[in-house]
Amino acid sequence: MGKIDKALATLAAMERGCGDTCPAFARCTQANMAVTLVYLCLLLSVPLQDVQRLVWFAAYPIVWSSVVGTGYGRVLRRSLYVLPLLAFVGMFNPMVDTAPAFRVGAVSVSRGWVSFVSILLRGMLSVQAVLVLMDTCGFADICRRLRALGVPAFLTTQLLLVYRYMGLLLEEVQTMSRARAARGYGRRSYPLSLWGAMAGQLFLRSVDRAERIHRAMLARGFDGGMPRYTPADRHGSHGRGAVVWALAWTLLLVWLRFGRVCVPFN
Amino acid sequence: MHMSDGLISTPVAAVAAVAAATLIAVAGSKVRKTSRTDLVPLTGVLGAFVFAAQMINFSIPGTGSSGHIIGGVLLAAFLGPWAAFLALSSVLIIQCLIFADGGLLALGCNILNMAAMSCLVAYPLIYRPLVARGASTARIMCASVIACTVALEMGACLVAVETKLSGVTALSTGRFLLLMTAIHLAIGIGEGLATGAVLGFVRRVKPSLLAPEPPVATVRRSAPMGAVAAFAVAAAVIAGGLSFAASQDPDGLEWSVERVAGTSELGNDAAAAVAAGRVQQATAAMPDYDNTLSGIIGAVLVMLTVWGVCSLLSRKRVAVKVKN
Repeated sequence: MGKIDKALATLAAMERGCGDTCPAFARCTQANMAVTLVYLCLLLSVPLQDVQRLVWFAAYPIVWSSVVGTGYGRVLRRSLYVLPLLAFVGMFNPMVDTAPAFRVGAVSVSRGWVSFVSILLRGMLSVQAVLVLMDTCGFADICRRLRALGVPAFLTTQLLLVYRYMGLLLEEVQTMSRARAARGYGRRSYPLSLWGAMAGQLFLRSVDRAERIHRAMLARGFDGGMPRYTPADRHGSHGRGAVVWALAWTLLLVWLRFGRVCVPFN
Repeated sequence: MHMSDGLISTPVAAVAAVAAATLIAVAGSKVRKTSRTDLVPLTGVLGAFVFAAQMINFSIPGTGSSGHIIGGVLLAAFLGPWAAFLALSSVLIIQCLIFADGGLLALGCNILNMAAMSCLVAYPLIYRPLVARGASTARIMCASVIACTVALEMGACLVAVETKLSGVTALSTGRFLLLMTAIHLAIGIGEGLATGAVLGFVRRVKPSLLAPEPPVATVRRSAPMGAVAAFAVAAAVIAGGLSFAASQDPDGLEWSVERVAGTSELGNDAAAAVAAGRVQQATAAMPDYDNTLSGIIGAVLVMLTVWGVCSLLSRKRVAVKVKN
């Protein structure tokens, strides 16, 4: 069950956050969320044929992941996950759009191939930006900031509840899978009937857990209303440093999108 | 089915985000109005259940491959459509943010394609009418397969439409739709069988959990489908219109030069410029290559350099920290 271990490791890494390896001004959640949004909007507005400009946009996850201390290699590996769907949608472009885009010696490269590469790059870079944001700020802190920014409490509460119990239920799945594997005499696949019983058991355990949580919430004064969060200031506002950090990135990104980026080999 | 940001344009993402946010707000208001106080923790924990259940794959007979549940119809059968929509949206948001499954700007599209289609369309319009009170396990299985297949097919159609409106794929809309629906037909049947297997198990072990009526006590005023259809049409019209309005004009510098000199391509006959041009011709690594390719290669090399420098600097920083 490598998949479960991987998911649990990701959740554990999220809990740890970037700690003190990252400068305080670069940890400001609001600033980082704003810059990520600007980055994604500008990235997606780059025309498909302008691959060069897209490559320049890699500067953002590369530099930021280094500042955070995650390392770009790790972010790049995690972003490869999105490639299959992107490749599936983009692979038809080289077949349909055969007009030449440029030549490499005697070989003509079609516009379809350029747009194919462009689709892969856009998808990977956008995922990398989100991964770096999460590595910097952590999921729980982003939820609290979203609440402070006016996102309805029912949504942030749901997100935090799902996030909290995801890890616990994953551990439960791991225990069940281990027990099944120990008694499975080497059989790897789950026939549908067995899978149904196993997922059903997990469902019943989840409902029981939800009932226990509900009783605990009632015991602590829960009356059906959603709790309000008072955001901890661990990743909160860091004054001028955070503003300068966000502004600098925004200006750089706007320049990368609309400016005349230099071409080293021209 | 999780769409990445690479497959959509900003206008399409914006319209889908507005539609998804509106549906989430409506779902929140419906859940708040219910008298069931246990719905809040139940929705949260069952959202986590769907995520955990997705980690267990079942084998698909005769293909050698495996699949996993998506969970929209399953959640709706226990929680009711609106609470299920909220739970599945939460799962999609977490999958996007933590596990890089689907793009952040494409989140609105993913919520519409997966959560809205299964919880707000397939469940109330197909599953619930088919499964009456005290339905047999076989009937539950059939209803699950039909509802899940329809939900996935509608989601696949929306993916094709959103991608086409974004101008990403060069395939014609008809071919792309055919391709997407053909692939998702098999996935939908698998998802339906899996959903039916879980629902059948729960019906056998703890039937009280399966309620044919929606558990969320809401006042029925108007069908939600009208709003969904209106949003879909608005999304199609606005996104299509906005994507065609993308500017083809020259950038600011080219525009200014053209206004002053009458042309955007200026030559320089000065001796120094001619000499510099000769040096550049002699030293350029790829003088005969097209601008596009040389630009891409140059940008890639610069990014690799930036990566290298950043790695060196961060290692140095960590080393200093450890030393201290």
